[in-house]
This record gives sequence, C-alpha cells and structure tokens, in this order.
Amino acid sequence: MAPLPLVTGISPKEGPPGTKIIIRGENLGTRANDLIAVEVCGGECSFEWQSKNKIIARTGINGQKGKGDVIVTTLSGGIGSSTVQFRTYTETIGPLKESAVWVEESPVQSLAWGRRTMATSGYHTVDDPLGLSMEGNDKKFPDDLREMFPENSGDLSRENFSPCWFLLENHHGTSFEDLRAGYAYLKRKVEGQKEGQLSFLKTHVGAVIDQLDTMMNLKKKMDNDGDVDIAKRVHNLQDTISKSIDSSHALFDDVLKRREKADNSRAALSVLNRYKFLFCLPTNIEKNASKNEFDIIVNDYARAKNLYGKSEIPLIQKVLAEADEIILEVRKELHKKIQEMPQGVEQQKRFVKSLINLEIQQIGTKQAEMLKITDPAWDAIASRAKYIEATFKRTYEEFQEKEKENLQKDTTKRDPPIRVLFCEEITEIASGQFPDLWRLGQSYFTGELRGVNEPKPGNFKQIILNAIERFCSYVRAAILPQNQKYSTVTAWSFSSSSQLNLFSTWLPTCLRHLRISYASLIRLDLPNEALDIVLKLIDELRLFCLTTILKKAIDKVKKLHEKESWELSVIEFPGATSLPAKLEELLTEALDEGQQMCLQLEVRENPLFDVPNSEGHREISKIIETILECFSTVLEELATERSDDEIQQLPKQIISGFPTNSLLPHSINLNEAKSTISSTITITWEHRLLCCLANAAYCNKIFINNNLSNLFVKYGYPVPKLALENSRSNVNMVFGNLLEMYVEHKADPLVSTIEPSMYIVSHFKWDGVEKFDNLSPYAHECLDNVVAVYSEIFAISPFLLRPILEQIIQTIAEELARLMVSVDDFNVNGKKQATLDIKMIRDVLRLYSNERAKQSFNEALDAIPKLTADENKNVETLLVSIKQRMKIQLMCLTVVNP
Amino acid sequence: MSKKPSSSPPSLHKVIMVGSGGVGKSALTLQFMYDEFVEDYEPTKADSYRKKVVLDGEEVQIDILDTAGQEDYAAIRDNYFRSGEGFLCVFSITDDESFQATQEFREQILRVKNDENIPFLLVGNKCDLNDKRKVPLSECQARAQQWGGVPYVETSAKTRENVDKVFFDLMREIRSRKTEDSSKASGRAKERKKRKLKCTLL
Repeated sequence: MAPLPLVTGISPKEGPPGTKIIIRGENLGTRANDLIAVEVCGGECSFEWQSKNKIIARTGINGQKGKGDVIVTTLSGGIGSSTVQFRTYTETIGPLKESAVWVEESPVQSLAWGRRTMATSGYHTVDDPLGLSMEGNDKKFPDDLREMFPENSGDLSRENFSPCWFLLENHHGTSFEDLRAGYAYLKRKVEGQKEGQLSFLKTHVGAVIDQLDTMMNLKKKMDNDGDVDIAKRVHNLQDTISKSIDSSHALFDDVLKRREKADNSRAALSVLNRYKFLFCLPTNIEKNASKNEFDIIVNDYARAKNLYGKSEIPLIQKVLAEADEIILEVRKELHKKIQEMPQGVEQQKRFVKSLINLEIQQIGTKQAEMLKITDPAWDAIASRAKYIEATFKRTYEEFQEKEKENLQKDTTKRDPPIRVLFCEEITEIASGQFPDLWRLGQSYFTGELRGVNEPKPGNFKQIILNAIERFCSYVRAAILPQNQKYSTVTAWSFSSSSQLNLFSTWLPTCLRHLRISYASLIRLDLPNEALDIVLKLIDELRLFCLTTILKKAIDKVKKLHEKESWELSVIEFPGATSLPAKLEELLTEALDEGQQMCLQLEVRENPLFDVPNSEGHREISKIIETILECFSTVLEELATERSDDEIQQLPKQIISGFPTNSLLPHSINLNEAKSTISSTITITWEHRLLCCLANAAYCNKIFINNNLSNLFVKYGYPVPKLALENSRSNVNMVFGNLLEMYVEHKADPLVSTIEPSMYIVSHFKWDGVEKFDNLSPYAHECLDNVVAVYSEIFAISPFLLRPILEQIIQTIAEELARLMVSVDDFNVNGKKQATLDIKMIRDVLRLYSNERAKQSFNEALDAIPKLTADENKNVETLLVSIKQRMKIQLMCLTVVNP
Repeated sequence: MSKKPSSSPPSLHKVIMVGSGGVGKSALTLQFMYDEFVEDYEPTKADSYRKKVVLDGEEVQIDILDTAGQEDYAAIRDNYFRSGEGFLCVFSITDDESFQATQEFREQILRVKNDENIPFLLVGNKCDLNDKRKVPLSECQARAQQWGGVPYVETSAKTRENVDKVFFDLMREIRSRKTEDSSKASGRAKERKKRKLKCTLL
C-alpha cells in the first residue's frame, strides 16, 4: 500500500461553501483515477487531480461550519490526514452578490433580505470577539458552567451575558498576554466604532463643505431674489427632487428586475424539479430501454400514470402522450426481444413480465390499440421451443458435415467418433434447454407470466412432446440408424461397417450421455408421456448396446481356438481342457459388461427383460445361440485341424494325459506334466481329438447346463433355455462326429490287422492247426491293440472309454464273426484254437461289449463246428490258465468304472 | 506559553508572510514547501501550510500563513497577525513601492503584537532580477538597521536562493524567543500553580 495521503497546504484557508481551493501535500493520488474523494470539513467536494502534490477542489455545501480537516482519499493510499485546516463560514448572499452555490431563500429571509447584511458582522464577532485564535482551546472546560453561573449565560447576545462564563468557556487555555492583547483589540474596536461618526465626517469633509457652500449660496440667492416666485422655485425644486427619486428608482428597478428574473427562474426551476420526473420520463425510458432496464421503465411508467394519468394540464398530457409513444416502441422492442434466442430463461421471463405490465398499464390509450400482443409468454415459449428444435437440427447437420470431412482425413482411432461427440452435444443441449423451456412453461401456467388471456395447456404439452420427440429422433438417427422407423429425420447411416464397429465400442458412452440428460428431464417433473419417449429410446439403446457387447463376444469366441492350450484343467471332467472355462470367462465378461451398462436400472427405467418372449429375449437368445454354435465349431475345428505344422509348432506343448495312477480327479498343469513325464511325447492329433471329445462331452453334460445357465442367473439375464438346449444338441452332434472320426481312425487299422495276422503271416490255416497250447498271435495282437487304445483314451479321459471302446469292440466282434463264418474247414485243433481265441477275446472285452458285439461274438462261436465235451473242457482249462497269465495285462479292461 | 506543555509533539512555529501584492510571498512559500516555482500570478487571499522540518537536528512543525498583499484585505490582517510568532516581511527589489510599504507592515505588526522584539526578517525577493533592481541594497540594509537590527536577506523564489535560509533563520529566532519566554514564565507558572490549587480546593 502506498503511503497515506497528507495535506500540508490549502489555498485559501477559509471561505464560504463553494470556494475553490488548491490543496497541496503528499501522495495525493498516483493518477487521476487513483484519487477517489476529497472531504473538507466533513463535506464531499468536487475535485480535479493535478499531480500527486496538488488537487484543485471546490468545497461542497454540506460541510460543517467552522474549522475542519481536509481529507484526501486515494485508492492506493487510503484515507489520509491533514496538517492544515479549512474554515468554512456562511456568507449571506445578497441580491447583488455572486454566489457559486444555490442558496435557498426561505420566504422570511427573502422578505428581509436587505437587512441580513447587518447580522453578518454580529455573527462574526460572536465567533471570536477578542480576535484571538481559538486554536489550542479544543479542550472543553471541565466543570459545568451552568452550575457555576446559574443566573448567567455565555451567549454574547443575551442580556444576562457573563464575561466570566465566556472567558472560561472559550479562553480558559489562553495566556494572560493573549487575553491582554484581546482586550486591547476589543477596546480598539469599540473606539473605532465610537470614532465612526467623526471619521465619517473626516473622510468626507470635502463633500460636507461643498454641501454647506451650496446651501449658503442657495440662501444668498434666495435672499437676493427676494420673495419673487418662491412658489415656482419650490416647484422646480420639487420637480428636481422627484426626478432624482425617479432616477434612483430607475437605478433600483434594475436590481428589482433582476430579482424578479431570479424569482421567475427559481419558480421555473422548482416546477421543473417537481415535474422533473415527468419531463425526463421519455428520455429516461429511452435510456433505460437501451440499457435493457425494463423493470425501471415499468416502474417509472406506472408511477407517471398514477401521478399524472388523470391530469388535464395540456403540457402534462403532451408529455404523457410522448411517453406513450415511446412505450409503444418499447413494447415492440420487448416483443422482439422475447422471441430472440438464445437468452436466459430468467431474462426472458423478466421481459415477458415487463411487457405484460406495460401492456396492462397502457390499456385505454390510443397507442394500446396500435399494437396488440395477445400472449407474450406464449410467444416466448413458442420461440424457445422453435429455437430448441432448430438447435437440434443445426447440431445434427453440423456433426454430419463434420463426419464427412473427417472421413476424408485420416482419423486417428483414439478420438471418439463424431457421432459420439454429437451424442454428447445434443444430450447436453437437451438437458440444458429443456429445463428452461419447462420452467418458462411452469411460470406461464402458475400465472406468473399470465397476461390477459387464459393459458393453453394442451398446446404446451404438445410442444414439449414434440421437442422431446425431435430430440429422440435425432439421437436415434445418429446412434441407431438401423432402427430407424420414423421418417421425420433423415437417417445418418454408417458409410462402412468398420465405422459401425468403431462406433459400437463407444455405445456405452452414448448411453451414459443419454441417461444423464434423461435424469435431468426426470428432475423436471415432466409428464410421463414425455419421459416415456426418452425411456423408449433408452431401452432401445440399452438393448442395442447389449447386443453389441454380446456380438463382440461372438468374434472373440470365434478366435477361441487360438487360445487352446491343451491344459487339462477341468476337475469334474477329466480330459476336458480349459477351453470351456475360457468361453465362460468371455461370456462372464460380456454379460458383466452388459449387465453394468444395460441391465442395471437407473431412475425410472424398466427392466429390459421383464416381458417374456419380448424382442429383447429373442435377440439375446439368438446371440447366445450363435455364440455357442461358434464354440461348437471351434471345438470341431480344433479336433480336425490335422496339419503337421501345428505339431511342429508346438513341440513342447506336451500332453501328459492322466497317468495311470492319477485316477484321482485333479488338474495337471502342463509344466508339471513336462517335468514328470518324458518330454518327447508330443501332442498328437489323437490326443487333441480326444481332448475335443472330452470337451464336447463335458459341455453337453455339465458345462452348458450348469455353468452357463448359472452365469445368466447370476447376472440377472433370462436363461435362454432354448438356445442352451440347441447348443447342447449341437455339441452332442459334434461329439458324435468326432467320435465317429476317432473310432474309424482307431478301429480301421486294428480290425484290418486281424485277418492278415491270422492268415498271411505264418501261412496259417484253420484246418491245419498243429498244436493247441496258447492264444493265436492275432488274438494277442488284437487284445494288445485294444489295450493300447484303452491306454491312449484313458490318458486323456476315462469318460470316453466306454463310448469309444464299445464302438471299436463292436467292429472287432463283427470282423471276427465275418472271419469265422468265412472259414471253410477246421481240424480238431483248429476248432479248439478258434473257440479259445474268440472266447478269450469275448471274455476280456465283455465289459465294453454292447449287445451287437456280444451277438457278433456268438455268431463267430456258432460258425465254429461244435466241440466235444472233452475238447470243450480242454479249451476251458487252457482259457483259465491263459487268463491267469495275462491277468495283469488285461486288468485294465476288467475295471468297471475306472 | 501555557499551551500544552507536553514535549512529545514537535513544537509548532507559526510564520506569517507579509508584504505588498505581487512581491512573491506565495512563490517563496511554495518554493519552500514543495520546491516548486509558480509562474502564474494569482492573488492570494489567505493560504495555510504546515509541515514537519528538521531544524538543527530537532523535528519541528512549521505553520506558514500566506496572507494577501492586496489592500482589499488590509482590514482582516490584524486578526491574522495576532496568531503569528514570526514574520517574513517581503518586498520586491524591483519595486520601490513594495519596499516603502514594508514600513506600514512593520508598524502594524508591532502594534498588533505589542512587542518590539518579535522575530522578524526583512526579505528582498526577486534577487535574480538584479538588473531590474530599483531598491539599492544599502537602503534596504539601512532600514533593517533602523528597525532595531532585524536581519535583511535577499532571496529568489525562482532560483531558490536563500529560500530555506529565511525560513530556518526565522524559526531559529522564534525558538530562541520561546525558550527565553518559558524561562521567564517558569517563575510565574509556579506561582500560578499554587493559586490554582487553592482555587480548586475552594
């Protein structure tokens, strides 16, 4: 803060109000704007800043009389002080005296204006009769003088004036010397007054002597002339005297005229002052209109109408008519302003109110007939509604243009697409503008803006509905062009599918924007019909959003096969890989996202799936089905991918399978497997096929029904039963296909080796069998092969044993039956041998034989000529011993439920 | 002096500028107060200035009353003179009439103050206009001598020559005059105190 202003000099140091003074000092403001006030004797002054050391001021009329400080206030320094004081005194303004300020003359004073001058000197003496400065006497005399001199007074003009009182009151601090000097002064003054007459004679001695001489001459002349025509002389004298009186009157008339003029102008001024308001009214109205201060206009106009409306004075009527003309203009302007957009609703309301007020007040004048605005508030609403629609349209078109521009440019994918920006913009407009419109309507109907006419509720509702409808159709056109059912807005279709895809990821954002503006609409307490329009759009968008999310999942599911790691991680179903879990994960993700975005209800929203068999249901069900279908396809693809490259690509991707001792269901990590089992084993096609089989079986039996439907329940979706059933059958079909493929793959080589190894290898003939002590090699081989297949399957999934082995064994049985039937002849040993072989195979494989297999075995046995009881016994004994020998080898086939 | 005897506020010396109109009283005052030389002539009515200055290492306040030189205001001079403690009687060395008028001012001051030894300086202003000199230096000095040996100083409000000197010299005189008075008065003051005590007791 700059130092305080300090006044150290004033020129002059005293004067009546209105005196121009030069103020000097320090820090009187750094520039003209810095100086904000000058106060002299407590009264505000007009001032002119000269420099930081000098101000020219004119004292005001409301300062106190007597001595007072000169206080300068600056912005930079604050309120200052002064070392010097200004003395204000009153000066009576006579008719011939110039005055800088307006002096109020009360009637009494004006009657006695000639005599007032006499009082001036008296006033002066009272102030300081001893001619001593009062400085330093500020301290009041401590005791109560009225007690000390009960009879007397300190007032010089009173009869009971007491000098003691006066001196104690005013000069109790003055030194004796000073008092003496004061006494001398008083004495001189009294002497001066006494000398007054004498000194007058002294100063005018020439004139007095002249007068005496003239009188002497006159006497002489009169003596000389004797009594000749004295009357005539006297008459002449009288004439002269009257002439001089006239001329003196003429002199004074001038003064009187001036006074009259002054009185006239004063009267005119007071009339002006009294009617100032009225005369300034037209100008003020115009001024305020240009400043948009319509409230003031309404007030002024109402006041003028009240005060002067019924006046019959032509001047006032004229002025009022002029004002009416201007008011008419103002009304026109207001009406225009009301319809001007954009503007704040409060301002609009103010305009409407002002207009209605003016309208009412002007009723009855001829100007009122010239412009009839029936319902300004309605006009305001209409124009606002129109503006909103126009804004929507403009925004819509603007953004469409922008997108076109952007298409040509290389758009970076980071930025949200134009459509999203549009969505944001338009919802913002909606939540910004609707409240205004609604509020305006509310105040219209509550009567706040009610004009002369009754409101029209139906129309307003329609306006609101229309506006909302518009809003929704623009949003729909931009976001859901494919759902476009209304022809009001030209759809803003996507130019390419990639654009659509890109946009789809931003759908939740759009939904959020829409919901925000929906919430703001709800807060407005709009009628349900209006809200439902938006709600419908939101529902549509939610569903669309949900389907988009799920569709994304489809794409991911399609790529699932890349994710297969051949990890046997399903505890409850050995052999199944983590693939179904991954599907579950994907679905969880999608469903979760969908649930959060679309299913979670916000204020005043309906559950998406509350109506069974609604469009939503069908849609979702369809997508889920597609997803699962894709999954089946993936499974099948994985199994049939037979390229050797794959194996080479994944040389270390080993499948360890289930070691024989690990019947306990537990998952085996790949790494673990690598370390425990020989790392040379590669994932063969058979392995993968089996895994897929296991997966398919797992899905069919457990996964789809349990895990997936649980998932839907958990996230609050309706369980798409039909889709799940369909997909189960799909998976089942896949399972069947794969099974067939595997069985074919395994059974063909196995079965086709039986005949060659029976005959070709050792030129074997059933009629030339020489010894009978063991199983035939082909039977051995056959059993070995079965066990090998068993172990391969078991390694992956025990669950698959039965379906696969049954098939294989059936083919084996059929083959054996075919072979036996086609044998021409058996010798004794041959008979025995064949019986032994078949029986052995039949018995061993009994657990996995289905009816047809058993039947085929019996067919084979029937084809062999009947054995004698002896032979038969021989065969049975050997059979038992062979079984005993091969017990360990064949044990696996005897476990009912591995 | 019996005015507030407290020592904390700096003592106040009241200086009055007297002299005919247009000799440069206001110019000297403004030069002393604000270091500015005012070229325009505007007759003064009565101006008041007051500021703190350091007089021989002591902070004092100087109060300057710049009076009107014009005869129109002669009647109210008495009032002003009474409050003065020291006087700078200014004339212009280029104007003999103003020099002659000093006699009248001197007499009026002595009459009002009723004191032959009132602090007083005769100041010949406008000494920068030496080529237009109308009043010989010797005459000036002679008059100062004749007045009981008051100091005579020639100044120039325009060049600031001797401006500070006249004010400070006068203040010194006022100060020494005051200390003289107070030592004289101290005896009386004691007496008065006693009497006053009695009074209050009564």
